[in-house]
Amino acid sequence: MDITGFGIGLLFGAALFLAGLADPDKMVGTLRLRDLHALRVIVVFVLVGLVGATVLDAFGLAHWSVKPAAVASILVGGGLLGVGMGMTGYCPGTGVACAAGGRADAAVSVLGMLAGAFAYILIQPAVAGPLDQVWNLGKTVLPETTGIPRAVWTLGLALPGAIALWVTRPGRPAQRPTQPAPAA
Amino acid sequence: MEEERVREAPLGWLAGGLLLGLAQIVAIALSGPLGVSTQFVVADTQLLEATNPAYVASHPLIGTPKYTELGAGWWLVVGLAVGAGLAALATKRWRVATTHVWWRANHGNSVGKRLAVAFAGGFLILLGARFAHGCTSGQFASAWAQLAVSAIPFTVALFGAAMLTARLVYPRTPRLEG
Repeated sequence: MDITGFGIGLLFGAALFLAGLADPDKMVGTLRLRDLHALRVIVVFVLVGLVGATVLDAFGLAHWSVKPAAVASILVGGGLLGVGMGMTGYCPGTGVACAAGGRADAAVSVLGMLAGAFAYILIQPAVAGPLDQVWNLGKTVLPETTGIPRAVWTLGLALPGAIALWVTRPGRPAQRPTQPAPAA
Repeated sequence: MEEERVREAPLGWLAGGLLLGLAQIVAIALSGPLGVSTQFVVADTQLLEATNPAYVASHPLIGTPKYTELGAGWWLVVGLAVGAGLAALATKRWRVATTHVWWRANHGNSVGKRLAVAFAGGFLILLGARFAHGCTSGQFASAWAQLAVSAIPFTVALFGAAMLTARLVYPRTPRLEG
């Protein structure tokens, strides 16, 4: 057993649940632009990860795992994943987390995911492998392709992102009624 | 009877996002960026190895140690399930459910239909994630943290398709808390 991996998973799983991403109501609400809680969580998650990764990188402490920019394959795959996420309110990580939280439909989704992975194994040699070669830019990062340093990219995304989150922040919890309104 | 509402998350958006960001920073510092979907292929590979090892050995993808061995990524997903389950218990939100508020607002208490949609959706989720070389963890959150070029087409395709689909499947909005 890999204790480091297990520990990171423990933190990640608890965070997904506590933040409300492992909740199909919150995910569907955000995809319908009716409940922006999950969207705000996702933006903070990404920006904090970006700033943290850039700081770790500056000290030579970052462990990278950059994926290939196989654009054709990513557009097809991202589209299929999006359809599944729009149907269920789950993604692979939150599906596992929701199943662990007692949602039987999420457990069924996880079985569907195992079947989807099996279908991928079957068609990978004939279909997915060749598609990967179409419009493939390789394992590249924006600082490399643009010549603009990582720190500049990070500030350029994180600063406007933080300002946008602050300006559009929802009202303080104190302004909301704490008791349900009495029946009229 | 009062109409049911979507419940608030245990944590606010800022605290929740910071906790997830912390998980990402710890992951990048100690082993590698967060990712989940590869492990579904690993799970299938374990089953295939027990039933048809010759197929695994001859396969260009799953015949490699990344899929035949259980590494840090596998234990991350095991930890994810335990962590989420413990968080649900600690916040007294662990309960068996088959549908959710948005589903009931649009499709009533149709459990069988929900489970069929859940299975089909799960199938598309993982098939798509493998074509895309990652899911919402690896190819979105982690790809942006690394400023990978792959994050751009993925983000456009994922959220475009997901928002369109959610609009078709969940046209009616239930009452929201807060």
